[in-house]
Formats: sequence, C-alpha cells, structure tokens
Amino acid sequence: MRRTKRFKSVVSASVLALTSVGLAACGGDEGSGSDGGAVTVWLSLDQSVIDGLKKQVDARAAEEGIEIKLEKVDSIDKVIKTRIEAGDPPDIALVPQPGVVASIVELGAALPLDDVLDMDALEASMVPGTLEAGTVDDQLYGLLVSMNVKSLLFYPKKAFEAAGYELPETLDELTALANKIKSDGGTPWCLTIESGDATGWVVTDWFEDLVMRFGGPDVYSQWVTHEVPFDSEVVREAAGYFEEVAFTDGNVQGGRTSIVATNFNQAAQPMFAQGGPECWLLKQGSFFTGAEFLPANVLQNLDAELGVTGFPPAEAGGESPVLGGGDLAVLFSDSDEAATAMQILSETEIGNEAAPVSSFISPHKDFDSSLYPNETTRTIAGVAYDATTFLFDGSDAMPAQVGAGSFWKEMTAWINGDRSLDDALKNIDDSWPSS
Amino acid sequence: MFAKFLTTIVTVLAGIGAALILYWLLNKLAELMPSKYEEKLKPYFYILPAYTAIAIWLLYPAVQTVVYSFKTKVGFPAESWVGTQNYSDLLGSEQFRQTLINTLLWLAVVPVVTVILGLAIATLTDRLKPRAEYLVKTIIFMPMAISMVGAATVWALVYDYRNSGNQVGIQNAVWTSIGGEPVAWLQTSDFKLNSFLLMVMLLWSTIGFGMVLLSAAVKSVPTETLEAARIDGANERQIFFRVIVPQIWPTVITVFITTLIGTMKVFDIVFVMTNGNFNTNVIANEFWLQFFNNNNKGAAAAIVVMLMVAILPIMYYQARSFRKQEAYG
Repeated sequence: MRRTKRFKSVVSASVLALTSVGLAACGGDEGSGSDGGAVTVWLSLDQSVIDGLKKQVDARAAEEGIEIKLEKVDSIDKVIKTRIEAGDPPDIALVPQPGVVASIVELGAALPLDDVLDMDALEASMVPGTLEAGTVDDQLYGLLVSMNVKSLLFYPKKAFEAAGYELPETLDELTALANKIKSDGGTPWCLTIESGDATGWVVTDWFEDLVMRFGGPDVYSQWVTHEVPFDSEVVREAAGYFEEVAFTDGNVQGGRTSIVATNFNQAAQPMFAQGGPECWLLKQGSFFTGAEFLPANVLQNLDAELGVTGFPPAEAGGESPVLGGGDLAVLFSDSDEAATAMQILSETEIGNEAAPVSSFISPHKDFDSSLYPNETTRTIAGVAYDATTFLFDGSDAMPAQVGAGSFWKEMTAWINGDRSLDDALKNIDDSWPSS
Repeated sequence: MFAKFLTTIVTVLAGIGAALILYWLLNKLAELMPSKYEEKLKPYFYILPAYTAIAIWLLYPAVQTVVYSFKTKVGFPAESWVGTQNYSDLLGSEQFRQTLINTLLWLAVVPVVTVILGLAIATLTDRLKPRAEYLVKTIIFMPMAISMVGAATVWALVYDYRNSGNQVGIQNAVWTSIGGEPVAWLQTSDFKLNSFLLMVMLLWSTIGFGMVLLSAAVKSVPTETLEAARIDGANERQIFFRVIVPQIWPTVITVFITTLIGTMKVFDIVFVMTNGNFNTNVIANEFWLQFFNNNNKGAAAAIVVMLMVAILPIMYYQARSFRKQEAYG
C-alpha cells in the first residue's frame, strides 16, 4: 500500500516536470540561422514583392551555384535583436529602418559591405542619398534593395482637371491652390492620421518633408541626429506650415479632432465620393496606390482617376529633396555564399520580376522604367529618380523612443489640442536619449 | 513533419523518464538517511524540484530586473551602471507622473466597483428563480470569456466617432439622436472621461468574475443565521449588512485583491484602444513602450520594480488574511 502511494506521487510530479520539458522542446526546433548551406534572407515586404524577388533571386542563385532562401518575417526590427542576442541571426535581413541598422551595428552583429560590393558601380546606379541611409561610421552596412517614396501629392485627376486647377511648383503655390479650392467651396486637404498603436507617423512624414524643404538636406540630417533640436527655427517653420494646412478652419473635414480620430487608410475615400471630391489634396507615400486605400473603381482605372505629383519644393528650380523609405539589406554571415547573395541583391536587375507584379520600386536610377505596371508607378519612381537628394524617413532613423515614440505621441497630442506646440517640442527634445 | 513528431515523442518520453529518475533518486537519497530523518526530510526532497523551478524562473528574473533597473543601455555593449537615474528620469517626467495618476485612478475605481456591482448582482440574482438566475449570471459572466483584445474590437465600435453623417458608434448614435454633436470619446480627456470609458471595458469583463465568487459565498451563508436575525426582528438591510456581509467578508477581500492586482497590470485595453495617447497611459503600457518600443530596458525594469514594490504589501496582506482564514475556517 505504501509503495503504490509513493509511486502515485512520483508519477504526478513527473507529469509536472514533463510539461515544462515538453514546452521547452517545442520552442527549440525553429532555429534556421545557417542550415544546410542555403543563405537565409529575412524580409518583411509584401508577399507579392517577395514572390517577384524570389523568381529573380532563384534564377541568379542557380547561376552562381548557391541556394538562397527568402523568408517573410514580420516585425524584423524587434525579432532581429532577440536573434542576435541568442547568437542565431539569419545570414541577411532586410531591415526597414536605418535606426535599427545602426543599433545592429552597435551590437556588433553587422558586417561592413564596402569590401563585399562594388561601391563605385553602386554610387553610379543608386539614387543619390540612398547609400548614405545605410551608412554608419563611414561604412556601408545597409544596402537599399526596395524603395518607397513619401514626398507625393495625390489628387482626383478628373475633377482636378475639370476645375482647371494647376499643379503647384512651390510650397507657396500649394497654399494658394488650397485657398483657391476653399474659395470654390471645396475642402482642400484629405488628412487623417489614426493608425492604432502607431498613431502619429503621418504627421512625422509631414514634418520631415517640410524640414528638408525649409532647412535643406544638411539641416535635415542634423535634425535627424539631434544636432538641430526640435525646439528650433526650422522645425517651428515646418510646424507653422503644417498648422496652416491642418488647423485652418475649413481646410480639413471635421477639423483637428477628426484628423486624429480617422484612420489614415480612409484618407482617399472622400476624394472619390459619389457627388464629387469632398477633399482634394492628399500627401502620402507610394504605398497608397494599393488596394486597401483606394475605392475599387479608382483602382481599376488608376492612371485616369488618380493624379500624382511630387510634393513641391520650397522654391522652384532649387533643391528638390525627396523623402522615402525602404528595406536595407544587412549582412550577418561572413560566408562566401552570403557575400554572393548580397551581390545579387545589389544588382539593378533584382527587381525585374517584382516590378511588373507588385508595388516594388527600384532604388537604381538605371532600372528599366518600362517594367513598372502603370503610369502612376512610373511617375512615382520618376519623382525619386529626378530628386536632387533622397532622404530616408527621419523618424525611422531617430532613436526609437523619439522616432516611434515621443515624436508620434506629442504631435498627436498637439493636433488633438492636449498640448501646446512649445510643450510638445520641448517634450520631444527631453525624450532624446542622453548618450 | 514526421521527424518533428518523432522528436516530440522522444522528448516527452525522455522528459517523463528524467523526472521519474530524478524523483526516484531523491527518494533513494532520503531512504539512505536514518529512518528518524527520512520521514522528516522526504517532503523537502519532493518539493525541491518545484522550488528550484521557482528559483530559476521567478526569483532569478526578479533579481535580474532589479539589477537592470540601475543600468542603462541594457543588452548593448555600452551597458553601464547609472545608479538611480532610471527612477529619477521617470519620476521627473510630467508624462510619467500623469501615467501614475491614471494608474492610481484605475486602482481606486475598478476593484471597488467590481466588488459593489458583483455583490449587488449576486444578491439580487439569488432572489430569482433558478432558471432565470442561471440565465442572468451566464450573460453577465460571458464577457469574462472574451479576450480583452477581442473585446476592444467590440468597444471600438461603441466609442467610434465620425465627424459627420451616420454615426457607426452606438454611443455617438445615441448622443446625436438626442441632439448632441458627435464626440470623439476616446480623445476627450476632460475630467478623465476617456480613462473612465476604458475602465468601463475592464469592469464589463471583471464584474462577472466577482459575481461568481460572491454569489457562491452568499449562497453558502447558513440560513439559520438569517432566520435567527429575522426572528430577532432585523430588517432586510440589517440582515444584508450585519449578517451576510461579515460572513462573506473573506471572499470580498479575495475578489477585491484579485481585481486590484489585475488592474495594476492592465495593459491590453489601453494598448489597443489608445496606446496611452490622449492622457490615458497606464504603468503597464508605459512598461511595454519602454521595453519593446524604446528598447530602454533599464527604464522598463525600473517601472517593473516600482510595480513590484507596490504589489508586495497587497500580496502580504492577502497571504496573511488567507492564513487567518485557514486557521479559523
């Protein structure tokens, strides 16, 4: 009797222990850092882009006699750090934020690309400014593979032309155009910023575009690294312009509260309302031509319905910088196969299969523009290729507590009327990490 | 697939085997002792693996967290000691103080309301016919089974705001139908309106929990005591406050403290609905932002330490009253 009792307690204790061991076993078998000789590449692009890239990558990899595995991984920026700490990163990862590239370099996990890639050829073929985005301490660590363009102004093409409006060449002309639309009885701006836990990024894009226009690329870069603080002339000038756009009575449907309350992906809906445009001008990135953001009838007839042009520069004929983003390839493995894979990713032709079937835009000026699926995409790519400088989304390059934290939150509070501009700018400056 | 399946089986069997062997060894070890000590020591030997697990997965991380809270750049090569700077930075910032005030407001409101409404519902449904009671309680308990993130989708529709046209949100639909202008509820922080609206969501899901426990307690109050009180001429109010409540007090405390601790940790509601914008931030959401968003593990650890210190006295009180209950009950 005593024996069975003891046996029972042994079994139940074992079951407890087994549960934890079993759980540990489940978590253990996922690692795929560098198995079987294949080069693992992480990306977080849209599936259609990945499918297109995969075709080209597979073809080139076969020629080089290596195997490249493209894996779609969401929130690479967070996962990659855990993997680095665990000593098990992929061979290459396409990271969407230069700030994250910098912190990977800080962790000592990234390999410099200057020796791996043909830098002279890249200098010649890439849009000016794109290489700087992936450069840390004068060495290239992140190579832009796919690009998006943010300095764009969308408008309802048919109604716009019917009303006889003209595309603005400067920021002042843009203000004049907005006022004209208003005096014609329209609401000029389509501006909505709500985006769940990322609410605020739309405003940061506005500020970036305005700061680089009022201050020029150098001041913009200093602002991104906080050599120029938020509480400064140039940022206040940008805020002033944004204030005029967003806070002027009648400029935005529903005013400030509505800007904060409405999801950013709804911005274009009133533009194509049944009874004519309920708002006329929308500043957004190239991704906005996607199916989630536009009404179906516009999407079917994109080139005829949706007008797009570059967000105007401060002065005509002067500096014309373009704001954008993209995915930067970072190399973790020092194997020859990984280096070859990196070289393949740096080729202009890498997007040949992706461009016709997806939203892919190549950062190479010598990319064959006829491959883009429609005129709209060609125009958008043209905006970037014609730019004097391509400047990477500054909030992505700022430390996360600012670029994805206080900058979003303080701007949101400012627009919602919870915070004065002075306090908001001061709070952002205060949140900048000290070292 | 098959290989994975096989690995799992082998791991599970190895796990059981290893645990069996471990306990068998511990048992043998105990049996080696003189029999006087054997019986005394055996329980400790048996509980050893559990304590080891707690030490590894609870105590060690807790100590580690305290250590991190005095460091900066945790996880980076530049990791270094900063003394109490994480704490002073946090407490020195106006936003963090607002976050603390919000959290205190949650703590002041949610547990009390949960107990009061839970007890009210428990007492009132106790008077219904069994079928009706069952139905009412099931409906009130149901939100408890819905994840807070899922519930947030529902509540986002309740609080939805459109600047014009038909209101999709129920609250605005009602409000505009009685002549009001549409209100962006979650963006309105006057009198902490948006924080209170978020608390409603938590209450919606915790009241069912309070009700179930309190209802069981109310039912277990011996009828003799109620009858005795009635014979002595007590009215219903006196019976409730002087006879029922004292007898179910331990349950009231349990519900209160469980809800209190749950409220201290409230995160998902705030994260999903506002992410702390519009002055609705709470301490757990701030932790999330510091840890995952800002990559500032030092500050995140400091927040956790503060939360831990705040919870300790409550845990101590609960453990004490639980022991008292065991002793007398």
